[in-house]
Amino acid sequence: MIIVKDLHKKFEHNHVLRGVSYHIQQGEKIVIVGPSGSGKSTFLRCLNLLETPTSGEIWFDGQLITNPKVNIDKIREHMGMVFQNFNLFNNLSIMDNITLAPVKLKLMGKEEASENALKLLARVGLSEKADAYPSQLSGGQKQRIAIVRSLAMNPRVMLFDEPTSALDPEMVGEVLDVMKELAESGMTMVVVTHEMGFAREVGTKVLFMDEGIIMEESEPAEFFSNPKCERLQDFLSKVL
Amino acid sequence: MQAWFEKVGGMFETAFITGDRWKLYISGLGVTLEIAFFAAILGLLIGTVLALMKLSTTRKGKKTIWARIANAYIDVIRGTPSVLQLLIMWFIIMANCKNGMLVAILSFGINSGAYVAEIVRAGILAVDKGQTEAGRSLGLSKAQTMIYIVIPQAVKNVLPPIGNEFIVLLKETAIVGYVSLTDLTRAANQISSRTYEAFMPLIGAAVIYFIIIKILTILLDRLERRLRKSDNR
Repeated sequence: MIIVKDLHKKFEHNHVLRGVSYHIQQGEKIVIVGPSGSGKSTFLRCLNLLETPTSGEIWFDGQLITNPKVNIDKIREHMGMVFQNFNLFNNLSIMDNITLAPVKLKLMGKEEASENALKLLARVGLSEKADAYPSQLSGGQKQRIAIVRSLAMNPRVMLFDEPTSALDPEMVGEVLDVMKELAESGMTMVVVTHEMGFAREVGTKVLFMDEGIIMEESEPAEFFSNPKCERLQDFLSKVL
Repeated sequence: MQAWFEKVGGMFETAFITGDRWKLYISGLGVTLEIAFFAAILGLLIGTVLALMKLSTTRKGKKTIWARIANAYIDVIRGTPSVLQLLIMWFIIMANCKNGMLVAILSFGINSGAYVAEIVRAGILAVDKGQTEAGRSLGLSKAQTMIYIVIPQAVKNVLPPIGNEFIVLLKETAIVGYVSLTDLTRAANQISSRTYEAFMPLIGAAVIYFIIIKILTILLDRLERRLRKSDNR
């Protein structure tokens, strides 16, 4: 579904991605872990071209999206993204946050979008917040809304960029629960996270990134019980 | 004591009452307000366009030709005195136009636009980058993200400095006497040269400016407070 070939990204003199290649199949839940500065967030942000790769190819559903002629806005309609800092639109109510994109992009009428939004809000247990504003919500609630906002576009894949890193500890669970439920529904997911429990439980593959490359990839059980490269053994000994 | 009162009363009468002179201040104030109002609107339009031009980038994040044009505009306008700009407009660029009001509005609007541009640009940059990224990641275009998400939030940021700019603009119109318009300052000046008495007309004009700007300040404060309220809903 997403094929990445020899992806490089340089910021000024900082060579962040040094040749990443990977193939994400439909329905997979890819969890990416690694120390900070390893390039994992940059890799994720390259997938929907929030960062423009310096070189390399990204294919999405058979389309080369790194080609400058591609209309990236159209591609992004099918790729949801959830950010570390939620990034709910502060000037809009929760309902408008969710319906803005589907309505303005003419994918749905206003009423259909509202109905759909209410259904999604019920799914994450936040129906009563439809008329609230982002500043009235807790971090965990904001992140659940952010997930709903992406889902309202009916994306084919969801990208998560450290979705629980900015949350108070007691709110991490409620967000992970929503993500687990989403995983069970069959959504293709790519998740950058420090939640090793989530990686083990939900991931179909776990990738370890360091120094701008994928150093190791394997299934969760294997990944945690039998790490091969030394950097990963070192990393796991610190975080587990 | 009584003599002093009589003297001041007499000065007041010559400055404001005799020959219905108060009407001159009023019509002068009308000219001042008319120029300031239309120039402010023009400045806001020009400034917003310039700010967007200045913020435009190519796909690779480089400056566009539009950004360079906006930069040149701002440099030239900020680098020359507004009196000179007004005179150049009046005697050179629009030498065939006899409508001083139009020339003044254009000149001040063009001038104010350069300052507004920097204010608006700062206001847009102050909106968290994550807001733009979230908009773009949903498939909204650059323009849609600007219109529905960034600009509504930028408005709150720019209100205090924009108010400041309006106040500066209003007072700067005091130089339109150069293009033979009789604004509040020139009216006061004319009266003082007719009565050989400067105190009352000049202080009177200063008080009128002060009152107008005080009213403007109160209105802007109210607007700002109303917009801030939505932050804590």
